[in-house]
Amino acid sequence: MNLFKSVATTVAFALYATLGQADPISPIDHIAVAPDIAINDIGDIAVIWVDRSPELSGEHSGHDRHLSYTDLYMAISKDGGNTFDTPAKVNHDDGVVWGQSVSRPRIISAVDGTWHISYAANEIHPDMHKPVLTSHYTRSTDGGVTFDAPRRLSTLTNSDLSDMIHGGFTSAAAFQTITRANDGSVHLFWIDTRHMSPQESTGALYSAVSRNGGATFDGDREIFAANVCPCCQLMATTSAGADVLVSMRDVSDDGHRQATVTRIGPDSTITHDRVDIGTAPWQIEGCPLKPTALAVKDDAVFTAVYSGGEAEPGVFFSWSTDGGKSFARAIPVHSDALVSDAPTVTANDNHLLVAWHGKTGGPRRVFYRMYDFAGAPVGDIRSVDSGPGNASSPVVVALPNGSFRVVWEQDDRIHTTVLPSSPVEIEVGLR
Amino acid sequence: MTACLRRYLTTAALFGTVALFCFARLASGSDPVRQISPDEFEAILAEQQGNIVILNLWATWCAPCLVEIPDLLKVESELKHRNVSLIGVSVDEPAFNTNNITRMRDKRFPDFLTYARDNRDTDYLISVVDPAWNEVVPTTYIIDRAGEIHTRIQGKKSLKEFKAAVLAAIE
Repeated sequence: MNLFKSVATTVAFALYATLGQADPISPIDHIAVAPDIAINDIGDIAVIWVDRSPELSGEHSGHDRHLSYTDLYMAISKDGGNTFDTPAKVNHDDGVVWGQSVSRPRIISAVDGTWHISYAANEIHPDMHKPVLTSHYTRSTDGGVTFDAPRRLSTLTNSDLSDMIHGGFTSAAAFQTITRANDGSVHLFWIDTRHMSPQESTGALYSAVSRNGGATFDGDREIFAANVCPCCQLMATTSAGADVLVSMRDVSDDGHRQATVTRIGPDSTITHDRVDIGTAPWQIEGCPLKPTALAVKDDAVFTAVYSGGEAEPGVFFSWSTDGGKSFARAIPVHSDALVSDAPTVTANDNHLLVAWHGKTGGPRRVFYRMYDFAGAPVGDIRSVDSGPGNASSPVVVALPNGSFRVVWEQDDRIHTTVLPSSPVEIEVGLR
Repeated sequence: MTACLRRYLTTAALFGTVALFCFARLASGSDPVRQISPDEFEAILAEQQGNIVILNLWATWCAPCLVEIPDLLKVESELKHRNVSLIGVSVDEPAFNTNNITRMRDKRFPDFLTYARDNRDTDYLISVVDPAWNEVVPTTYIIDRAGEIHTRIQGKKSLKEFKAAVLAAIE
């Protein structure tokens, strides 16, 4: 039966591949969400997503104690995103990936072409025999054809919070992110709930670092013991110096959940504590979910985040000119939208691109706008022509030719398109 | 009536009560959480016209959500005589079944009437009530007797705060 399933899945993917190069990327008979995208130094593009095949559900999954039934897939493009190879499955054990739009697997590239991937996995705790959510890492050193056996980087603990958190998990190491530092080290971060209790409902920030290209990792290490929003995805990126930057929502004693950025040194120590990115105070004991997007251009750090504390809630954009040690007051990105959320940000040599999903009356669509490196808007807000249906959860990368590529989810599939390199090109394209 | 008959009737009544209790528990707690479409959601809310509806958006992985649901159940129980009803919508990924949502409901609050979406996109469902929902959980709407949103509450609140919000909608 398993052989039949494998053959059927392979045939489905192969058939899809022969259909050609149309957007969307993910196969038609699978449910796909939570995309991420990365580009390596030679211009290869990798897109990953969480995938649920028709065969992999509930009692048929073979994991009756699991709370998730999804896999992680990856597709590679060697022509700037015009065509993608047949998607390959990343995780080795069926259905163990716990991923969704607000806790999505992440991918980065290394200078040597290695693809590094982080995701949360649903395992069964060997002692307690209950589901536990753990942070995993794998890599591909052959261009996305095969993947190392995934490794659990979060330590299994004996804390049992299954009555309290995450739908029955004993503890959770999720909402993870991954980045590389300029020295080539690979840093994974996740929110860990091993210390949670009915009295302490915030999360901790944990990290694991590899200094040999992902071959081995140091043991996991606590960065912040508490006061991290336990259900808000992290983001991390390379800084101009030796540090990496990590964004998270800080939970204050009076219940505010502010978007913050911190600097972590090569030895996993905090080199600059959490800094508010300049949104208005937002008092909420809840889950704002989406991450604080980050991009770096020399010493400038750009962030975009949803804020509910403002008079007009929505996506706000802010920047730092001192490497993330202080931020200007955040400015609204899409004031006349009914709702705007889930921002993503990236930079090329000329511009900064902020993209997000929002609603202006009809279904949700992906919008974007360019900014200069002083934070001034360049051109108008544009929307991606995605046709009918709700388009959401975009992620963008800068391409070598100066344009940008965006991926998003829409009607159970992963879509992608290219965005112009400049406002001038946008105007020409519209004529 | 003989002592034997009395004993028989007492035992039968006891068994009957236990059976009835078990049946009631099974009926409320063991049915899988139902996955609904936007049209079905609209119909469910239309049936509530004339009532005050507390609509709670929650998720199994949202700790503040799990803490406040018992308080919402208390508010419903205390104000039921004033036609107040509680309806939950889980924003968890729906998978192809609702095992984890059902498991959590049965374990923590078996009397919680909650639904799940039948589509992967939460916005389709919530837009029936609030097209401008900002994708934050927990979110609680107090919907008045005419079916209009009276109050939108975000983040975990106390029993007192929920009760005050519902009473404001009643008056």
